[in-house]
Amino acid sequence: MIRTSRGRRRLGVVVGALAGSALALAGCSAPVASGPEQITFSYLWGGAEAEAIEAIIADFNASQDEVEVTGISSPDFQKQLTSLSASQGSFDISDHFGNAVGSWASKGILAPLDELLAANGVDPAGFAPASIEQLSYDGQIYSLPIAVHTFQLLYNKTLLAEAGVEVPTTIEELETAIAALTKVEADGTITQLGLGDPSPSTTITTLGYAFGGDWDADGAPSPTDAGNVQALQWYYDNLVAPVGADQLAAFKSGLGEYMSPEDPFYTGKYAMVIDGEWRAVNIPSTAPDLDWGVTSIPYVSTALADTTQLTVSTLFIPANSAHKEAAAKFLAYLVSDEGATAFSLALGNLPAKLSLVGSPAYDDIPEFSVWLDALAGDNVHALSSAPYSAEYSTDLGLAFDEVLTGASTPEAALQKVADNSSNYATE
Amino acid sequence: MRGITVRRRQALTGLAFAAPFLVGFSVFIAYPVAASGFYSFTDFNLFQPPEFVGLDNYARMADDERFWIALTNTLLLTVTGVPLSIIIAIAGAHLLNLPVRGQPLFRALVYLPSIVPIVVGGYLWRWLLNTEYGFINYFLGLVGIDGPGWLVEPEWTKPAIVLMSLWTVGGTMIIYLAALKEVPRELYEAAALDGANWWTKFRHITWPTLSPVTLFQVIVNVIAYLQIFTQPYLLAQTRLNDAGAGPGQSMLTYAMYLFQNAFSFLKMGYASAMAWVLFLITLAITIVILVSSRRWVHDGSR
Repeated sequence: MIRTSRGRRRLGVVVGALAGSALALAGCSAPVASGPEQITFSYLWGGAEAEAIEAIIADFNASQDEVEVTGISSPDFQKQLTSLSASQGSFDISDHFGNAVGSWASKGILAPLDELLAANGVDPAGFAPASIEQLSYDGQIYSLPIAVHTFQLLYNKTLLAEAGVEVPTTIEELETAIAALTKVEADGTITQLGLGDPSPSTTITTLGYAFGGDWDADGAPSPTDAGNVQALQWYYDNLVAPVGADQLAAFKSGLGEYMSPEDPFYTGKYAMVIDGEWRAVNIPSTAPDLDWGVTSIPYVSTALADTTQLTVSTLFIPANSAHKEAAAKFLAYLVSDEGATAFSLALGNLPAKLSLVGSPAYDDIPEFSVWLDALAGDNVHALSSAPYSAEYSTDLGLAFDEVLTGASTPEAALQKVADNSSNYATE
Repeated sequence: MRGITVRRRQALTGLAFAAPFLVGFSVFIAYPVAASGFYSFTDFNLFQPPEFVGLDNYARMADDERFWIALTNTLLLTVTGVPLSIIIAIAGAHLLNLPVRGQPLFRALVYLPSIVPIVVGGYLWRWLLNTEYGFINYFLGLVGIDGPGWLVEPEWTKPAIVLMSLWTVGGTMIIYLAALKEVPRELYEAAALDGANWWTKFRHITWPTLSPVTLFQVIVNVIAYLQIFTQPYLLAQTRLNDAGAGPGQSMLTYAMYLFQNAFSFLKMGYASAMAWVLFLITLAITIVILVSSRRWVHDGSR
C-alpha cells in the first residue's frame, strides 16, 4: 500500500509537471502582437532554382517590415496535397501548374484571389490573357502566373545548311524540311530525325492549335475537333509513316537524357524540335558549340500564323491559410515587374506580364525574344483547366502513344478519348 | 474482492504494456483499413465530404479498360517474376554454400543491392537499360546479341521490370542459405552411400527440407509482385511526380493505376475500391497457394 500511494504521488507529480509544461508551451505559442506577420512559402523547385528563390524572398523581407516570408523547398506533390487537405495547412503560398487550377478550385482548396489582388493593386489585365483564362474557374481567379512557357520551332543551323534546307515558315515547307533532314540507312535504321518530339503530348496539342483545332471547345473535352484530328494525322504521316513505328521506337530508345549533353537535339540526332524557352538558357551551358536558331511554328494558313501553346507555372494561396492577406502582399511582390523579372530570370522561363514583353532584362539570353514576343500574339492558346484536366491529359497522352506506335488511327484513338470523357470527374 | 482487484490491476497493467501496439494498430492500421472500406462505396475526392454511391465504384471496374490492362500486366509480372526469384535464389544459395575462399565477401556482395535505396536503384537501371548508352546492351553486344529497346518496346518493358526486381534477390538468397545450413548432413551421406546423384539428393533431400521456406517465400513474393509499384513507376517516369504507363501502357501495374486514380485524378473512392479488390485477389491467391502446399510442402519439416 505504501509503495502504491508513493507511486500514485509520483504519478501525480509527473502528470502535474507535464500539464504545467503543456500550459507553459501553450503560453509560449500564444500570438504576439509585435513584429512582422510570419508566412511560409513552400515551393516545388530545388537546387540552383531554390537558391535564386531564396534570394528573392530575402529581397522582399528586406523591402518592408509588415510580412516576413520563410521559404521551404518541398518538391513533393503528395506533401502539398496533404497540407491542402488539412484544416490548417503548413504553408501560406505555394506554386503548381495551371492545369490543376480547375480541379483544385472546384474542391474549394484554393483561396479566390480577386479581392486580394484588388486590395494589393494587382491588375489581372496585365498578364497574358490565355494564362489568366486558364487560372480562372467559375468567374474567379484562383492562381496567378509566376512564369509561362510558349513553344516554338528550334532548328540546327548546321544540319539545315548541309541539307540545303531553308528555315520553314509554312506547314508545307516544314514537311519538305522534315523529309530532307530525316536520314535512314538501307536496312531501315534511322540515324537522324527531321523533327524530334521531346514531349509528344505538348508537340501534338500545340500542332492541334496550329491546325485550327481546339482541345476544349465550349468548356468540355473536344478531342475529335477537326483540327486536332488533322494535326495528329499530319504528325503520323510526316513523322511516323515514312520511317515506320518500330524503327522510330528503336531510334528513340537509344537517345540520351533530355537537356543533358546527350540530348538528341544537341547531338544532331534531331534536326528540329518544338520546345519551350528554357532551351535558350540551357543550350549555352550544356551545348555551347551548337549552332541553332528558333522561329515561329510554321503556319497552316496566314490566319493561324504565330500559333503557340501557353503553359503556366502558378502561385496560389491555399484556402486553409490563416495569413491570406499577408500572403497576398508577397504574391503581389512576386508578380510585380521587379519580382517577375527576377523570378523568370532565375528559372529561365518567360514572365507572364505583358509589360515585360520587349524588356531589355532578357537581352542576354540568346533568341529569348522569339518565345517572349509570342505572348502578345492573337493565336496563343492554353488548355482549359477543369476538374477533369488530369484525366483528359492522361487519356490524350495514351491516344497519342497508340497512334505513334501504329496501334491505332488518329480518328479511332481520339474517339476513344471522347468516349471515355463521360467518366471524368465533374468537380 | 481483493482477488478481483488484483486481477483487474493485472489486466490493466497488461493492457498498459500492450497499449503502444494497440494504439498504433488502431490508428495506423485498423482505422485506415475501415476508412478505405467505407470510402470504396463513396465518391470521394479528398477535399469534399464523401458521397455514397453504393457499388458503383466496383461496377465501374468491369468496364474500365485501363483497370484490366493494369491487372493483366501485374499478373504477368507475378507469374514470371516469382518463379524466377525462387529459382535464382535457390541456385544462388547453393553457390554461396560452397566451401570456397572469400565466401563471406560473396555473400555480402550478393546482399548489397538489397540495401541500396530503391529509387537510387531505379535511376541506375534507367541508365543500365538505355539502348545506346546502357551497360546491359553493351555486354549483350559483346556476345553478339543486338540488345532490345528495354524501356521503349512494349514487349520488353516487363522483362526490364523483372530484371530490376531480381537485382535485389540477394535477400531471398540469404534466407535460403540459412535454410540450406539446416539440412542434416547425414542425409546426404546416407544418400551418397546409396549411390544417389546430385539431382536425386536435391529432389529427395534438399527440396523437401527447403519447402517450408519456399512456401513462405512464394507467398511473400506473390504479395510483393501484386503490389509492385516503385520499379515500374521509376522506369516509366517521364516527368517528376508523374505516374506514366510506359509504351502501350505496358508498364501500368495495378498499384500504379490505383495511385494515379487516388493522387492524380483525386478519385479516392475508386482507388479505395481498387485496393479492396486487390486485397481479395491477394487473399484468394494466397489461399490457393496454402491449400496446394499440402501437396508439396514436406510434412516433416513443419
